[in-house]
Amino acid sequence: MSDSYVIETNNLTKRYGENIVAVDGLNMRVRHGEVYGFLGPNGAGKTTTLRMLVGLIRPTSGQVKVLNEEPGAPEGLARIGAMIEAPAFYPFLSGRDNLRVLAKYAGVPETRIAPALKEVELSARSGDTFGTYSMGMKQRLGVAAALLKDPELLILDEPTNGLDPAGMAEMRDFIRNLGQGRRTVILSSHLMTEVEQICDRVGVIRNGSLVAEGTVDELRGRDRLRVKATPQAEARDLIMGLPGIERVEALNGHLHITADLDEAAAINRALVYGGITVSEIRVEQSTLEEVFLELTKGQEIRA
Amino acid sequence: MIGSIAAEVFVLRKRASTWILLGIWITMGAVFAYAFPYVTYRNNGGGPGGEQFADVLPQSLVSNLLVGFPFFGGAIVLMLGVLSFGSEYGWGTLKTLFTQRPGRLRIFGAKLAALGLVLAPFVGVIFVVGAIFSYTIAQVEGAAVDWPSAWLVIQALAAGWFILAVWAMLGVMLAILSRGTALAIGVGILYSLAIEGLLSALTGQISLLEPLVELFLRSSAYSLVVELGVSGEAMADRGPGSFSGPFVDGGQALLVLGAYIIIFTLVSGFTLRQRDVAG
Ligand SMILES: Nc1ncnc2c1ncn2[C@@H]1O[C@H](COP(=O)(O)OP(=O)(O)O)[C@@H](O)[C@H]1O
Ligand SMILES: [Mg+2]
Repeated sequence: MSDSYVIETNNLTKRYGENIVAVDGLNMRVRHGEVYGFLGPNGAGKTTTLRMLVGLIRPTSGQVKVLNEEPGAPEGLARIGAMIEAPAFYPFLSGRDNLRVLAKYAGVPETRIAPALKEVELSARSGDTFGTYSMGMKQRLGVAAALLKDPELLILDEPTNGLDPAGMAEMRDFIRNLGQGRRTVILSSHLMTEVEQICDRVGVIRNGSLVAEGTVDELRGRDRLRVKATPQAEARDLIMGLPGIERVEALNGHLHITADLDEAAAINRALVYGGITVSEIRVEQSTLEEVFLELTKGQEIRA
Repeated sequence: MIGSIAAEVFVLRKRASTWILLGIWITMGAVFAYAFPYVTYRNNGGGPGGEQFADVLPQSLVSNLLVGFPFFGGAIVLMLGVLSFGSEYGWGTLKTLFTQRPGRLRIFGAKLAALGLVLAPFVGVIFVVGAIFSYTIAQVEGAAVDWPSAWLVIQALAAGWFILAVWAMLGVMLAILSRGTALAIGVGILYSLAIEGLLSALTGQISLLEPLVELFLRSSAYSLVVELGVSGEAMADRGPGSFSGPFVDGGQALLVLGAYIIIFTLVSGFTLRQRDVAG
């Protein structure tokens, strides 16, 4: 394993009993300074993977290196801030006192507590006991706790879970800002729009394996041209004969054309010239959502 | 490590159950060791029951309090031990702690150290309360105030702490093994009451049981306090905590209790280190 990656897994596998393979030969590479989206439907194995990254659970087989340390090693943990699944704190302690406990454990000066609370906008309620917090406040305290160590690597497992739309938008902005620096962030999510908005690179997990990894643009693939023309079969033959056309696909009464988008005018001209009626021609932007649905088709419902 | 211990003491100090258990223990001591015997003595017109009267005077401070440690004190700090680890599973806070800097075993060590420190007031405060009661009674009744020797008090405090530590550690182990509180408390109480209690009571009839019973927590703890002046009769008549032997000598009692604490600690630490923390 090389040290150019912040996180590197090699055939990482976690089985539960005979039948459940929660993570199945996962190979993931997270680079320095990026915001990495770990995208997958519920039950795909995201939380299980993240737990293995911080040493909460041990892999059945395969290897993990995080910040060049074995998972769970104190040297590594000192540089990682993590919130995995639901934020968990002492219900009878205030938000601030909970962070005080963690600061003592992590060997972090208590002067970092107030700024961390401020960053997640929890200062006003930091004296109330954790048990009285709303889901959104709990989530924000979880993020504050993860930030306490001023970590090089931030691991956030579905941090917008349970937030209302406004809270979600806030949290996304916040995470995006966190990423713009020397920090590496890995963020898991089952929402492609979220990942599309925040992340530099994305890994898509399905049934415990990574089925795609790349930048959002790489995964999204190229925009295409969409043409509605009659008769369609003739239009299709004609377009395929044109120069610079890579692929033509007929779907739901439309032709989807992979080509340089500047070819639109030429295609239009050729169709009209060929006596074909063109009722629509436009650029079709591909979304990560389609790709995601395509990639994760056949995910068993296991969650 | 100091930081981690400070963190754990802070958590235990802020937790209501710590104070509730301490309060129950102190109240039990005040009521059963002082108030009841004294009231009984008064109701008998101050005549017979002289023995009971002697129990509540300063000279009997050590024996009068120590007799409550092997069973009643044990049951209470068993709960303290269970709660200190078992609740972490319920709240999910174990994962929060384990993703901080120290490794699992250091966190385990810090929690045990904090628990050991918190046991100190369980021993200290009840002795202070006992001293206040016995002194007051002696003043009221015009009896002599003869305190036990400092050396005996120190030994009693140490023995009391040690007995409580063994029970608390049993609670810790049960909580870690069962990953929770309810089952651990149930099993702990059931074990000390039903298994140790019943088998001890049966040794009178079935002498075969004697070598086994001599290795019990209660037998060892009771034997230890007998060594410090508690009379065998005092514990034969204590409701669910009754014990009438077999007794072993103080050295063996210390050794057996020491072995228990080591075994409980090893099993707990190993389990905590090895097991997945999921959920
Ligand atoms: N402790 C466990 N015991 C048994 N099965 C588990 C356990 N944890 C997770 N699983 C199973 O592993 C799969 C992946 O779960 P998880 O990693 O939580 O998915 P995600 O976080 O992507 O929603 C699911 O099928 C889940 O039921
Ligand atoms: Mg999950």
